[in-house]
Amino acid sequence: MTEERAKGWLIAAGSGFMLVFCLTPVLYMVATSLSEDPLFLSQQAGFHLSLRHYAAVATSGSLHFFHYLGNSLVVSALSAFVTVLIAAPAAYAITRLVMPGRVLLLYFVLAVSMFPQISLISYLFRFMAALGWINTYQALVLPYIALALPLALWILISYFLQIPGELDRAALVDGCSRWQILRRVILPVAAPGIFSMLLLAFIFAFNEFLFAIMLTTDYRAQTVPVGIALFQGLHGEIPWGAIMAASTLSSIPLVILTLFFQRRIIQGLTRGAIKG
Amino acid sequence: MKPTQPHKAFRHQHSFREWRESFCFVLPLLAFVLAFVLIPVFGTLADSLFMDVAFVKKRFIGFENYRWLLQDPGFWQSFRFTLLFVFVSVPLEMVLGLLFALLLNEPSPVRGLLRACVLLPWAIPAAISARVWELVYNYGYGLANTLWLNLSFSTEPVNWLGSAAGAFFALVLADTWKTTPFVAIILLAGLSAIPGDLYRQAMVDGAGLGRRFVRITLPLLRPTLIVALIFRTIDALRIFDMAYVLTHGGPGGSTMTLSLYGYKYFLLSDFGYGSAVSVVLFLMALLLSLAYTRLGRFGEELR
Repeated sequence: MTEERAKGWLIAAGSGFMLVFCLTPVLYMVATSLSEDPLFLSQQAGFHLSLRHYAAVATSGSLHFFHYLGNSLVVSALSAFVTVLIAAPAAYAITRLVMPGRVLLLYFVLAVSMFPQISLISYLFRFMAALGWINTYQALVLPYIALALPLALWILISYFLQIPGELDRAALVDGCSRWQILRRVILPVAAPGIFSMLLLAFIFAFNEFLFAIMLTTDYRAQTVPVGIALFQGLHGEIPWGAIMAASTLSSIPLVILTLFFQRRIIQGLTRGAIKG
Repeated sequence: MKPTQPHKAFRHQHSFREWRESFCFVLPLLAFVLAFVLIPVFGTLADSLFMDVAFVKKRFIGFENYRWLLQDPGFWQSFRFTLLFVFVSVPLEMVLGLLFALLLNEPSPVRGLLRACVLLPWAIPAAISARVWELVYNYGYGLANTLWLNLSFSTEPVNWLGSAAGAFFALVLADTWKTTPFVAIILLAGLSAIPGDLYRQAMVDGAGLGRRFVRITLPLLRPTLIVALIFRTIDALRIFDMAYVLTHGGPGGSTMTLSLYGYKYFLLSDFGYGSAVSVVLFLMALLLSLAYTRLGRFGEELR
């Protein structure tokens, strides 16, 4: 079994490389945020553990970090939640009801999901400006929902298709309306799928940058990616320690989600892309 | 299929009610996609036919913007860069993604943890990781030059973000880091769908590791590989965040992507010209997604 042993070594070496590749930038970010001198790799500095950058992020009022984080959490959670409310009935109708042109609708939604965001932004900018909505939550939440809907629809359809049709036929015979069936039969059974979808929509909105930078102007609505991307020092010197501390803090919600729910996220991604 | 055929008139009425009901169920979705995707896209298409600059009255100029595009060296530079970026980064991501998927598919006591670690680059916002990469590539004290000098590739530090070639490499590596996990996850699903019996049979027949990979894994993974390839190509075409934060399109416009180029004109309130750039990118993505819906056999189980 020499080949099996060789394979074992290959897997060990490959996994080592994979971990180094994926984790190095993350660890570098955390290390920099915890170093007294953020440029700890330069000859003179060296690494000395310190929390001063976190203290700076927490106490600096002009940095507005917690505003950004709060905006991101609210906008992402709201987008994910409304996306479910809209995608679930649509997925139900497509998988369960007599509906002309439903395959066409699916193709259409898929094509829509591939439009480059840059081709939407100038129009959306002027639309939101005309409504006086620039720098508000709704300016971000509404387009985020529209952009998350295609993936959400595909994920939910793939889960709904697995639920046996007898289940809702029985409920129909019992006199339930379609809404009631969706709410009381389908949604509870498809809960894992709903959860996957919520996670992906949340992470998508948390990541989004182009709309956020175009449609917001200050800390009252700017999200974390924009806040951190635009964060420059006052005196020309970039405050790397504070930037990395803020980056680490804003990555924590995402790290927690991936550590706890990696299976749900992976399922959602694969269902959305290739259909289970 | 219904077990019994109801009376014809009743069936007709019944399906009409269902028709109407299903329409109500998809209406909110259609409204959202219409208001926030379709109308903006058509608005951009229309805008690209106008001279639409701040403080000047908007006026129809037909295809003038596109004529200027053809003569604009800045546009061609970003066009070439975007294509080059796609052709270099996407194959790299596919190969690495396949490697990671094969590794993640192996049974291991820490498989869940490994998968979570691989997902991290995907989950952290690109704008944030781009800041980390900016520090990695820092000339004087970044991780890249520290490694470069300590591994003695050279005694001269590399000006990663200050030279065209360095910035190109820097952007490709950062984007590969960010997007390889996605490829790996998609391919992992394809791998786990390959029946293990095939491998066992091949081993009984004496096929080695390499042979099993070429004869079983690659052919059966082909549809999934195509899906991942097209998804990634479309996504790489519209790259924005990473380039915006890491290189700002510089130095000297050498890493200007089409999305950044269009954005630049929107910032200058030149909506007509910026829209024309966006339309070019839109058409490129549309062509690819048409290829995608043709290749992937979608909606089959619904037919």
